[in-house]
Amino acid sequence: MTDMTRREFLTFSGASLAGSSLALLGFSPSEAVASARDFKLAKATETRNTCPYCSVSCGILMYSLGDRSKNAKSTIFHIEGDPDHPVNRGTLCPKGAGLIDFIHSPSRLKYPEYRAPRSDRWQRISWDEALDRIARLLKQDRDANLVTRDAAGRTVNRWTTTGMLAASASSNETGYLTHKIVRSLGLVAFDNQARV
Amino acid sequence: MRRVLERGQIEAGAERPPRIRLPDPARLFAARAARFRALAREGAIGSSIADYLHLMAALADAQHAALDAIEPSMLHLDEGSVDGGTRLPSVVGPYAPIFRDVLGLLVRALAVRGDLPRSTREALERLENASANALERYADALLARRDDQIDPATAPFVMAALQVPYAAAAAGLSPSDVESRIGAGEGCPACGTLPVASVVREDAISRGQRYLHCALCATEWHLVRITCSHCRSVQGLSYLSLDGGPDAIRAECCDRCKSYRKILYQETDADVDPVADDLASLTLDVLLADEGYHRASGHPLLWNGR
Repeated sequence: MTDMTRREFLTFSGASLAGSSLALLGFSPSEAVASARDFKLAKATETRNTCPYCSVSCGILMYSLGDRSKNAKSTIFHIEGDPDHPVNRGTLCPKGAGLIDFIHSPSRLKYPEYRAPRSDRWQRISWDEALDRIARLLKQDRDANLVTRDAAGRTVNRWTTTGMLAASASSNETGYLTHKIVRSLGLVAFDNQARV
Repeated sequence: MRRVLERGQIEAGAERPPRIRLPDPARLFAARAARFRALAREGAIGSSIADYLHLMAALADAQHAALDAIEPSMLHLDEGSVDGGTRLPSVVGPYAPIFRDVLGLLVRALAVRGDLPRSTREALERLENASANALERYADALLARRDDQIDPATAPFVMAALQVPYAAAAAGLSPSDVESRIGAGEGCPACGTLPVASVVREDAISRGQRYLHCALCATEWHLVRITCSHCRSVQGLSYLSLDGGPDAIRAECCDRCKSYRKILYQETDADVDPVADDLASLTLDVLLADEGYHRASGHPLLWNGR
């Protein structure tokens, strides 16, 4: 890898082909060199990721077109199972196989939305508004419904009127923190690795 | 590719795909000859160097025919004399007699053709007239890639003559022995030669697995997809192809070391051959050179001048 010989800079260009086997054996590289003008290069990217759907966490390969380094918008055009991933070895379940439609879905959720009670429409709100509202409602519900002692007088501190689903494709560290916060509040109905 | 598994198939397919694919010489050269001809056709990617590809197809036909000249005993595999029978020699020495026989067969098979350019005829004559010692030294220079001793006009034929005994010998190796040397360097775990290109196999045993293909002995070894085969970077890789050209041929370009090797997709074209497709897509190399990328290794049948 650190071997900086001239092989490091080996190219088949118009100039180098003039002294190549092709030319020395009596064939002409000029047509091949000229044909390069008829083509443009197409650039694709392959990106390794984890399927977001469930706790099996299958490896996926996402194929996109476009050059991300030049501010061009890149478009994912294909997703398949990662053949090198030890969990799924290139396979995907029907949900995972449909990931491309999930990404391009016109109804994909991209920001917080709020539908007021008895309203028939969603309205976009900011993350701050969403988080403040969720925190306030959680606190109200917990203050009203936290069970500190059971019928026998034993301390239980359980909160059974609210439940929570968390992400399935998060890391161990994220899972640990989520668990720690949610259980400290007394929440009982909780799935941190949802198989939805 | 999307696959739906039937009940029971998950257990049945739980066996790991092989990390080593040893060559099948009885198919290798015949399939390569057919692929060279297909790529040389009007409208195909190699049509701009069709005459050269037809010469290489004839050379691959001659390689196939020369396999008959090889007795297993000539490859020393039964004696385990080459590094315990697990590794192919880095010098031609043990294969020198068979190499010279094969080279003679290749040169004579091509020489009877009436359509050869004069320079090709002269190159074949130089090989025909070379002494056994000179040929052996030349073969060793090619194996060691001592560029200053290589004549681009004769190198493709000598390399082709080396491919025959090396592929035949590789076919007899133990895959587990070879597998244990994967990753020891950039070169082939069977013979040490740099790979010519990589191929994503899409057959019953290797679905979607990527293999590097040895330029000499045709052994294929596994490398995780989206990894630079030269500097092993997993970041900054892009896949460049000819817009409007074949989808099965792309170049895996690394922005860290600025090198590339082509990567072929058997899912898109079942007949891809790393040696033939890499050579036929020379137009892609010309464009990549303009972009500032260089080849991570050369081509066994196309050598640059000094």
